[in-house]
Amino acid sequence: MLYRTNAKSLFITSALISWSLLLANVLLAAESMHRESSIALDLPFVNNFLIVVFIISVFGFQRLSAENLKGIDFIGYLWNIFAKGGIAAYLSIALYMVYRMVTNYSSVQSPLLLHMVYQLNFGLMVLFLAKAFYVWRQLILYHKNKFIQIAWDWYEILLFATLILTLLNFNYSSLIFLPLLGLIGLYTLFLCTNLKWVAYLTFNKKGRSLILLVAILLACYIFFDFFYGFADSPLLVIDYSDVGFLLLAMFFVALYTLASFLVALFSLPTSSVFEQKSEDLLNFQRLSQSIQQGQSEKQVYDMLFESTVKASDASAAWLEIFRGEKKDEIELCHQLTIEEEQIKRIRHLLLAYNIQHIDYINNNLDRNPGFRDLTLPWKSLIILPIKSKKHLFGVLYLLKDIEQGFDRETVNVLRTFTNQTILTIENLRLVHESLQNERYKEELKIASVVQDSLIPKKFPSDSWFEISTYAKAAKEVGGDFYDFLQLSESRIAIIIGDVSGKGISAAFHMAQMKGIFHGLMQQDMPPSEFMKQANSALSRCLEKTSFITSALYIIDYRMKGFMFARAGHCHTLYYNSMMDDTFYFQTDGLGLGIIRDKSYNNHVREMYYDYNPTDVMVIYTDGIVEARSPTNEEYGEDRLRYMLTQTYHLEAEDIKYAIINDLEDFTGPTENIYDDQTLLVIKFKPTQPSE
Amino acid sequence: MKITNQIKDTTIIITLDGELDASSSVMLDEALSDPEIMTYSKILVDCKDLNYISSAGLGVFISHLQRFEDAHIKLIFYNMQDKVRNVFEILGLDLLMTIVSDYEEAMTIADE
Repeated sequence: MLYRTNAKSLFITSALISWSLLLANVLLAAESMHRESSIALDLPFVNNFLIVVFIISVFGFQRLSAENLKGIDFIGYLWNIFAKGGIAAYLSIALYMVYRMVTNYSSVQSPLLLHMVYQLNFGLMVLFLAKAFYVWRQLILYHKNKFIQIAWDWYEILLFATLILTLLNFNYSSLIFLPLLGLIGLYTLFLCTNLKWVAYLTFNKKGRSLILLVAILLACYIFFDFFYGFADSPLLVIDYSDVGFLLLAMFFVALYTLASFLVALFSLPTSSVFEQKSEDLLNFQRLSQSIQQGQSEKQVYDMLFESTVKASDASAAWLEIFRGEKKDEIELCHQLTIEEEQIKRIRHLLLAYNIQHIDYINNNLDRNPGFRDLTLPWKSLIILPIKSKKHLFGVLYLLKDIEQGFDRETVNVLRTFTNQTILTIENLRLVHESLQNERYKEELKIASVVQDSLIPKKFPSDSWFEISTYAKAAKEVGGDFYDFLQLSESRIAIIIGDVSGKGISAAFHMAQMKGIFHGLMQQDMPPSEFMKQANSALSRCLEKTSFITSALYIIDYRMKGFMFARAGHCHTLYYNSMMDDTFYFQTDGLGLGIIRDKSYNNHVREMYYDYNPTDVMVIYTDGIVEARSPTNEEYGEDRLRYMLTQTYHLEAEDIKYAIINDLEDFTGPTENIYDDQTLLVIKFKPTQPSE
Repeated sequence: MKITNQIKDTTIIITLDGELDASSSVMLDEALSDPEIMTYSKILVDCKDLNYISSAGLGVFISHLQRFEDAHIKLIFYNMQDKVRNVFEILGLDLLMTIVSDYEEAMTIADE
């Protein structure tokens, strides 16, 4: 940046100095010519050097100050040329007029004044050319590709190379250079075909740019005329029309201005099409971006309505949006120059034709007797349903007051709009749903934590037995549960249960069952009585298709025995160390909530069993024995029993791990288990010596 | 899961084929909730190809049990595989529902 500013001030200084020196030199020469002294001071090389330095300084300055194109404010650039360059031309003409007036008035020929004006005009012209030259460069390089960039760079180099001719005082118009000039001319012509920016002007802007272009052309003409008029003038000691570079630069600026003018002029009639297309494009963009911007469905429909009415130039329109579950609620959310009464009549007619929700185009309504009878002021109608494969969101109706109002091109654009709208609406809903799901997941997590807290983590550490537990839910929350309650110093109640079904409803019933267990067992009742009362309590609150299987054990250390009742729960697996035998307790017992009246009482049995030290009891839910292998076989009671015969001598914790490991081997590595799994291993200990 | 109905006079035979899990039990519930089913005097359930029954599937039978009993409609299961029968037995349903070995037996019970 510092380099840029420094270079700029350097260019300004050198331009000012070279121009002043040139002026001084010219005036000196003019003075000497005027006096017709014998010694004509002729220093063409010095003059040419100063001219070249001045030109390079001004062009260099303009090159540096030309900003990069920002946006598509082309009018701004044209205005820039006109304001900073074009004005120079009018200033120069004014100067010349003043000179003429002065000379006419005083009727005195003043070569010095003439030279002054000529020199000033030269400065102004170079300024104008440099400004225009670099603004046109920006416009030529708009939407550039590599080829154009290279072509332009060479053109610039070539043009500046012609300054060498001036420096060496060659006459560019000599025959040797003519073909070269012709080639440069063709090159210029080629560059002048890069007029992409004109296409981006709207109709109004084109109009304004035409005026500016004419003004710039006029400026070119003024300068050209001025210097051409003074070419080879005997009155002047210097002739700037000899500088080939200036002529070429003028040629380029004028040609490009002319080309722009013509292109802008002839593209005026088609600019509305381009405008419409670019507006459609912008609208598509707005529609597709409305999700990121967090817009509501209503805003999307607003956009659709606005865009389609504009794109089709419809004279009347309305949009119906379907609401509610059954799509029977029709909301008229937009209306454009049409009465509700007319809408009602058209809708009736469409209903009669049974074409109310399908793609329908009628470009000549008068030919249809039904529409003719409605005496509508419109002649074309298009119906665009906004529907995805499974969803009808709404219907858009557009009307036009001319026949053949909806041609294929328009219909395509309209369809693209409705398709984009469908996409946007569906995406909006998906985003909404996923947010909702996220919330549910979060709540399920909470439920899972709550349920986890319902299951005891630690049993009372007792010297009478050791217990080890395992629980794994198939989903976030499950229907399996177990719990215990110390009834007295020597008695503990242990319950296991499984609520039919899985998920939230099962989790609720499980919590209910826990409440019933704690509530009823405060009164210390035998297991069968507990089952009867629990059944009666559950009968009133369980869903019709739900039931609970459960087993309750009351272990009495002092009596060295346990009492239990089974309500439809899996049979208890037992190892008797005295007989060295493993078996299942085969007792009857109906699940809770299956029979919901007093007759349940006949369906539950109670059993008492004396245990020996080192006996093992395995309590589990059906998730264990019904676990599936990859080949869809069930784990089964037999395999479970076999596992106990192999491991009964271990501690409860190790027996549990052995069974779980075997189970996991059986099912293989799976993320999702089919049913909740719960396993309790109880091992009775021998009497402590201290007791 | 495939559920097919076959009608013989006043008997409807429901054949269950596959696994009766949480999702397919909805189909079964629909089939049993059909008001027309109350016009028959016997419902025979052929469990020959029933490989698995979940608690949800059992729940469907349980929820309709009382209704059929009140309407004096007999519900009889037959051709049940051992492991499925085991599930019924563990839950104690074998004492509530009629489970017989084959079709002939089912028909004789049904005709009583």
